[in-house]
Amino acid sequence: MTAPTTTLPPVLQLEHLVRHRAGRPAVRDLSLTLDRGQVLGLLGVNGAGKSTTLSMIAGALRPDSGAIRIHGEDFLEQPELAAQWLGWLPERAPLWPELTVSEHLTAHGRLRGLRGSALNEARTRIIDRLELQPLAQRLAGVLSQGQRQRLGLACALLHRPALLVLDEPANALDPVQVTALRALIREQAAAGTAVILSTHLLGEVTAVCDQVAILHEGTLRHHGPVHEGDHTALEHTFFSIAMNGNETNEKAHAA
Amino acid sequence: MSRALMDTMAVTRLELRRLFVRPLAWVLAALTLAWLGWSYTLLLGSFLSEQVRLAALPDGPGFTDMVTVPLLAQLVELAFLVVPLLTMSALAGERRSGTLPLLFSAGVPASRIVLGKYLAVLVWLLLWLALTLAMPLTLAHAIRLDWGKLAAATLGLVLLFAALAALGIACSAFASHQALAAAAALVLTLLLWTVNQGAQMAGVNDGAINWLAMSPHLRPLLHGLVSTVDLLWFVLLTVVALALATRRLAAEKGRD
Repeated sequence: MTAPTTTLPPVLQLEHLVRHRAGRPAVRDLSLTLDRGQVLGLLGVNGAGKSTTLSMIAGALRPDSGAIRIHGEDFLEQPELAAQWLGWLPERAPLWPELTVSEHLTAHGRLRGLRGSALNEARTRIIDRLELQPLAQRLAGVLSQGQRQRLGLACALLHRPALLVLDEPANALDPVQVTALRALIREQAAAGTAVILSTHLLGEVTAVCDQVAILHEGTLRHHGPVHEGDHTALEHTFFSIAMNGNETNEKAHAA
Repeated sequence: MSRALMDTMAVTRLELRRLFVRPLAWVLAALTLAWLGWSYTLLLGSFLSEQVRLAALPDGPGFTDMVTVPLLAQLVELAFLVVPLLTMSALAGERRSGTLPLLFSAGVPASRIVLGKYLAVLVWLLLWLALTLAMPLTLAHAIRLDWGKLAAATLGLVLLFAALAALGIACSAFASHQALAAAAALVLTLLLWTVNQGAQMAGVNDGAINWLAMSPHLRPLLHGLVSTVDLLWFVLLTVVALALATRRLAAEKGRD
């Protein structure tokens, strides 16, 4: 008889995910796992399937087949798990233009089941952390793109999710804000949050990610750890896959 | 509080907040209440000038028949336009602005999103009804009101608003653009209101097409006659429209 195992399941498990869009395969047979405190960078050219993958993880799109597990629970069967465990910043941070920054945080908190003092505390904490105090009473419709992105991030982090899904989070941020974002991602990972972020920027991956996954035409072509000073190797792998669909053919890139 | 109730209330509060900070709801309320106030003044003037003659009739119409019911009938006509304008952005607007996936990613099922938004619109409409009813009720201490008839007419209005709001939400769930949602809701409402007119002109007064129409179910309520069939008609329309909206929204995650 074997002793019962106490190993915690990964925060995120993708099992053979398939999704078609406009009649074409956008994601094909994608399997990945992500543990507590890990930061995974999802790379790929436009149309590689990054946003589709993240939308499925966030519960905004349903896969055609496959499974998504969060903490071992079937997310497709229990989408309400998202309320507690998942924070998502979609590309271009969609907001309600007629609501203020503070009202956004209140609405998101309520949608995540926060009430009363817990909601007030969470709102105050995230406003302080993302330095949104001067914007708190400003309407979302008049925010700059960078400010919108910060508000979107605040909404995603408000309820301390176990899994943070970021779709091109550095878009429209200035270099100072990008540095602050990297620090924030690292801080979240250190606190145990699993983070998955899609980006076009290889520097973003080498700066904050422990792992990298490269998608090409909806297929996972590379998945492995990111080592410090790995930028050139990663660049070769990325361009090789982007141009030839194969990470081993580096000669074509050099040519 | 159950999770379902918490989700629904969160969506309702969000939608109510959005309704009350947008100028559209305020402009609609101001314009329609001003129009209803003017109509009320005219109806009241007409009633007062006829009051002595009417009092002499053995079973003559009173204040409720002469003022309150005609006022509520005007509210019905205004609702045909106001409800589509209020509901058009509920889901079509969210879809266009990209905020609909945010609700899904918070783990809120389609049924609770639809119900939450529906309840918010209904709250606005009930406030609108209350403000309209306040006009005749200000004279309740001085004039004899037919409370039974007033209660039946109010019930009819509540049911009508419930059905029209559900229809508007369903149109907003199916339409890709807010204007299309409003136009579809308006056309469907007018169709439901008038679908039996051709049959009536042909002398058919009790066919299935007459049962389908809205007006034969609302008019008795406005005149104080409450029947289960009429109540069921409105409940059925409301449930079917909300079910269709939920089904359409749930399919959203599977669409391209």
